[in-house]
Amino acid sequence: MSAGGNGSGAAIEYRNVYKAFDLPVLSGVTLSIEPGEMFALFGPSGTGKSVLLKTTIGLVTPDRGDVTVLGESVYFGGRDTLERIRCKVGYVFQYAALFDSLNVFENVEIGIPESILKGMSSKEVAHRAWETLELVNLEPRQVMSKLPSELSGGMKKRVGIARAIAGHPEILLWDEPITGLDPVNTAAIERLIKQLSDELEVTSLLVTHDIEGGLDMCDRVGMLEGGHLRFVGTPEEFRVSDDPVVTAFGTRAAAKAALDTLEIS
Amino acid sequence: MVLRPSRLVNWFLAGLVRTFRSVAEHAGQIGLLVWNIGVACVRLRVPRRDILRQFNIIGIQSVMIVLIAAALIGIVTSQQGGYQMQSQIPLYVMGSVVVESVILEMGPVLTAIVMIGRVGARITAELGTMKVSEQVDALASVGRDPIEMLAAPRVIAMIMAMPLLVSLANLVGITTGMISAQYTLGLGSETFFYGARLFWHSYDMLYSLMKATVFGAAIPIIAVHMGLRTTGGAEGVGRTTTNSVVFMTLTILVLDAMFPPLFLN
Repeated sequence: MSAGGNGSGAAIEYRNVYKAFDLPVLSGVTLSIEPGEMFALFGPSGTGKSVLLKTTIGLVTPDRGDVTVLGESVYFGGRDTLERIRCKVGYVFQYAALFDSLNVFENVEIGIPESILKGMSSKEVAHRAWETLELVNLEPRQVMSKLPSELSGGMKKRVGIARAIAGHPEILLWDEPITGLDPVNTAAIERLIKQLSDELEVTSLLVTHDIEGGLDMCDRVGMLEGGHLRFVGTPEEFRVSDDPVVTAFGTRAAAKAALDTLEIS
Repeated sequence: MVLRPSRLVNWFLAGLVRTFRSVAEHAGQIGLLVWNIGVACVRLRVPRRDILRQFNIIGIQSVMIVLIAAALIGIVTSQQGGYQMQSQIPLYVMGSVVVESVILEMGPVLTAIVMIGRVGARITAELGTMKVSEQVDALASVGRDPIEMLAAPRVIAMIMAMPLLVSLANLVGITTGMISAQYTLGLGSETFFYGARLFWHSYDMLYSLMKATVFGAAIPIIAVHMGLRTTGGAEGVGRTTTNSVVFMTLTILVLDAMFPPLFLN
């Protein structure tokens, strides 16, 4: 099966990525994501989706293979290249990962790369933080000086998103952004993801368990299973796929029906 | 069940290999951490604001507990010395016993032990929590180096603070030792200092400050190293913090034992 994309000029390109902890997690993943594309990655829990996402900016080092971001190698380009890549990529963490000791303003401010921050006055920095918080539908005046411990789960996620987009990245990586949210907040965050990806014209790679949301929002989707990409295609192709594992992920009823018949690793 | 000798030997050898591997792993990681901190310092990438903030937390906020410990050390040294010397040795020797004990040994070592509990454990728990809640990854994801932002400021602040704290501890320990000797043994301050001057070498003060600096580097380096390798949620943070305190205490005692043969003839 083709991993999709032509590999030239890709925004993100995973080339034969292997990673094992105690057991193999990624067993030769090859995938290209084109500039401006919105790509959703599905798969069973513990199958390495977040690990793959972390290899994109060097938070996890693959045992073999390479990842290129906007044409630059994450693992063979050296320290400065990695730093440059990180400044062009925004990463939204599963549980927001806000800095406990910093208030909302400082959490957003730290998302602006140092190289840009040096050339900005404190007024410009404040304006950028204000603007970014408004973009994620937060009222800056109310939240600016609050600590993460004073925010609700949904607000924390939004501040995490604000931090990721504060540096005006070219690529956004979303690690299960709706995990642990109620249905209303889930819908709000999903709308925000779509809105931001369109407005900011960024490339998005979304790791999610929300199949319907992913299929609705994304241009292409992929399914990681047993360390391999089992499926890559358009949402329409995913919906009509006759692969039993892919089908099992399509709806809750199909998942229940598949429980007794499939062995999903 | 009775263990056969061959099994016992195998079990012993396996334990030995595991221990050796673990020691080598720690040594390698600590070496790399020290190198990276050195590089960050040379490149002037350590934020001064963070060094000052850590100096306040590590140094200034520790003054009171260090002074209380030092005051008690002085009293105990003076009391026990007086008890052991009853009518055997001229009492003015007490001055030398208190001053030399406090400066050469008690001041630096007990200050280090206090700092392990107050600062070392705190650093490990703080960084460990940041690690398991992905805050360290979040810092790296926005192009900031966790070594420059988290490790280096703590190590530099502790290296700066320890000689000052030990100097204060020495001063207070000697003073309380002298006062204690005056009230319980009837030894006047002039006689006390006469005894102290008889066996005084200026080098002893340098030796005390050398110990303070080495301990001041060892404690945060181990604390940071243990914190940044924490895994496994809240339980992992607790386990790593306990291991870190044991590791730091043993290291300080081993370093203390190495000082006399290396620096005292």
